[in-house]
Amino acid sequence: MKHIVRTAGTLMASLVLATQAMAQDKPEQIDVGVFTFTSGAPAAYGQPGAQGAELMVDLINAAGGIDGVPLRATIVDEAQGAEGVIAEYRRLAGETSYQVMIAALSSSNCLALAPVAEQMQMPTISWNCDTHQLFLNQQLDYTFRPNGNTIPEFVAYVAYLLQVNPDIERVAIINPDYAFGHDAAEIVKAAFRAFKPDVEIVAELFPSLGASSYQTEVSRLSAARPDAIFSNLWGADLENFVRQAQPRGLLTQSQTVLALGETILQRIDLPDGVIVGMLGDGYWLTPDAQANEDTVAFAEEYATRFGEYPVFPTMKMANSFMVMKAAYEAAIEANDGEWPSRDEIAAALGGIETATFTGTARLREDNDGYVDQVIGVTGPSDTYDFSVITNMVRYDGEALMAPLGEDPIAWIETLTPEFLETLPEPGSYK
Amino acid sequence: MKILYALFAAAFAALAIVPFAAPWLQFVLTIAIAKGFAAVGVALLLRAGLISIGHAMFYAAGAYTAAFIVLRSGISDLFVLLIASTLVTAVIGALVGAYLVRYRAIFFAMLNLAVSMVFFALLSKLYGITGGTDGLRVPVPTVLGMTLTKAGFDIVLFYVALALMAIIAGLGVQFLKSPLGHAVGAIHTNEVRLEYLGVSAWSVLLIAYTISAALAGLGGAIAAVSIGHVLPDYAYWTESGHLVLTAVLGGIGGVAGPFIGSIFLEIVHTVAVGVAHNAWNLIMGATLLLVIFFLPQGLYGLVTKSADKTSSAKLGENKS
Repeated sequence: MKHIVRTAGTLMASLVLATQAMAQDKPEQIDVGVFTFTSGAPAAYGQPGAQGAELMVDLINAAGGIDGVPLRATIVDEAQGAEGVIAEYRRLAGETSYQVMIAALSSSNCLALAPVAEQMQMPTISWNCDTHQLFLNQQLDYTFRPNGNTIPEFVAYVAYLLQVNPDIERVAIINPDYAFGHDAAEIVKAAFRAFKPDVEIVAELFPSLGASSYQTEVSRLSAARPDAIFSNLWGADLENFVRQAQPRGLLTQSQTVLALGETILQRIDLPDGVIVGMLGDGYWLTPDAQANEDTVAFAEEYATRFGEYPVFPTMKMANSFMVMKAAYEAAIEANDGEWPSRDEIAAALGGIETATFTGTARLREDNDGYVDQVIGVTGPSDTYDFSVITNMVRYDGEALMAPLGEDPIAWIETLTPEFLETLPEPGSYK
Repeated sequence: MKILYALFAAAFAALAIVPFAAPWLQFVLTIAIAKGFAAVGVALLLRAGLISIGHAMFYAAGAYTAAFIVLRSGISDLFVLLIASTLVTAVIGALVGAYLVRYRAIFFAMLNLAVSMVFFALLSKLYGITGGTDGLRVPVPTVLGMTLTKAGFDIVLFYVALALMAIIAGLGVQFLKSPLGHAVGAIHTNEVRLEYLGVSAWSVLLIAYTISAALAGLGGAIAAVSIGHVLPDYAYWTESGHLVLTAVLGGIGGVAGPFIGSIFLEIVHTVAVGVAHNAWNLIMGATLLLVIFFLPQGLYGLVTKSADKTSSAKLGENKS
C-alpha cells in the first residue's frame, strides 16, 4: 500500500512538473488572478483596489499589452473566506494561461495562500497584506511583496509624531480588534520604548471590526486626555470613528495620527493638522507622483471613470501591476525573447527593482520589499475641494526595516532616540 | 432501493476519479466532504427537532486541535491527527452538551450560538496561543511515517476523506436503524412518550450531541490539514448557519443528504465565484431559494423520489 501511494504521488508530481517544464508558446492572452474584497465591509478598501486593477489592465492593453500580448484580470472576492479563496486560487493556477497572481488584501488570506503558492509554484505578488509574519521564519520562493509591511509603516508614524511633537508624554491607541490592530499596537509601543521611553500609554482600545458606534471609545479617549492618539482603523471603521469623534472635539483636543487616513480625505472634512498617511508611498499627490506624467494621467482617468481620485489601495494595486509587467519583460529578455515559464517569471521577480507610479519597489533576498513611507498632516488644497497631505516627509524604506533574518520587534527595541536624527525632517519632502 | 445504492455507487466512483479528471475540483471536494461531516452532525440533531446554530464551534475545535497537535507536540501523522481531533472534539461536545441538551427549540439554538461565539471570541483574542485572527499555519502532516509533498498529501487526504465518508455513511445508516437512532427521532415526534417508555431523553440527546460534535471535529481536522491554515472564522456563526443550511438543503432523510448538500453548495459556490465576482452572493442566494421552494425534502428527497419512480416504473414493466 505504501508503495502504491508513494508511486502514485510521485507520478502525479512528475506529471505536474512535466506540464510546467514544457516550452512556453507566446499566449493569445495573459490571465492574472486579482484577489481583493468586492463585498462586505472590507470592500470599502478592496473595491478601489479592484477598480485600480481594471484601469491598469485597460491602460496596459491600450499601450500594446505585455510584449504585444493583451492582459485580462480575473477578480476574486476575498469575502468568501479562506477556503473559497484557496479553492479559487487553485482553480485558476490549474490553468496554464495564469502565470502570476496578485493576492491578497487580507493578511490572513496571504498567510493561507503562501503555502499554496509554494505548492503550485505560482508567482504571487502580495499587493496589500502587510503582516510582518509573512516572511518570518520561513523561506518563500513564490510569494513576493513589493509593498510595505507593518514594521516600517508604524515605526515611521511614531518617528513623525516625535519629530513634530517631541514633548508628548501621554499616548492613546485605538486600533481594530484583529491581528493588524494588535500587531500595530505592539510595534507602536516598541517604537515609543525605543525613541522616548518616558511616554505613557494611557489607553489601548480595540473596537471590534465593523463596529457601528464608537461613542464609548470617544468618551474613554476624551477622559484619558492623551497628548496624542494613534489609530490604524481603516475603511468604513475609520470613517465611522472620525465622523463620531469629530463633533466631540477629539481630533483637535489631541494630536491625532490616522495611519490609514489618506483613504478618507476625499470623503470627510478632517481638521487641519491631523497626521495622516498610508501604508507605503502610494499617494498620488506626492512630488514624485506628480512629477510622473503616467501617474497624473492614471489619476485623472481614474477620477473620470469612477468619480473619485485614487486612494492608496488603488495605487498599491496599480504599482503591483507595474511590478508584474516589469517582471514579465525582464523574464522575456532573459529568455531571449521566448515566452517565459512561471519559474522564469518567479526568477525575474526575485530581487526586482522597478519604478512604480509613486516611487520605487525593491525586493530583498527574502522577497520582502523596501518601500518608502510617506507621512504628512492634513491641510487645505489650492486645487481640490478636499484636504490634502502637507508638510510631507518621505522616509527611506530600507532604513526602517529590520535587517534580514532579525526578529523585527526585537530590532525596534534596539533603536535609540538618536535614530530619529538620522531621519529626514517633516516638510522636507517637497 | 437497489437503484438508490447503484446511484450512490456511481456517484462515489465519479468522485473517485476527480483528482485525475478535474484536479482543481479535488480541493473543493475535500472541503465539501469535510463540511459534509459537520453537516451530518447537524442533521442528526435536526432529526431530534433541534437546530444547532453553533456547530461551527466543533468544526473549528477539530481544526485547531489538529493544528495544536502538529505545532506543539511534534506528532504529525494524519491518522493520529484525525483520531485525536475527533476524540478531543467529542469530549468538548459531551461537556458542552451536558448543559445544552436540557434545552429545546429556540433556547437550544440560541445557547449553541452563544457558546460558539464565546469560542470564536477566544480563538480571536487569545493572540499568543491561537495566533489571533491571522490564525495558525498547519504544516503538511506525514502519512504512516511517510513524508509527502503537499500535492501528494492532498491526493492521499482526498481518498482518506472519501473512504471516511463511505464508512460514516454506512455507520450512520446502521445508527438510524438502531434503537438509539429511533429514540433520537422520537424526541422530535413525542418526547413525553419516550420518557414513559423508560428511555432518558437527556442521555439520548447527550449521546447524539457528542456524536454530532465528534463528526464536526473530524470534518474540521480534515479541513485544517487540507487548507494548511486555521482561522477563527471557522467558528463564526455564519459558518454554523451554513452547516444548518447544508443539512436542510441536502435533506435530513438519510445520511447521504448532508454530503449531497455540501458537495452541491461548494460546487455552486465555486462556479458562482468564477462566473461573477460581484454577484456570487446573489447566485448562491437564488439557488438556495429555488431548492427550498421546489425541493422541500432537500436534494436527497429528489434522489430518492427519482429512484422510487424508476423502480416503480420497472415494477410496472415486469407486471405487464
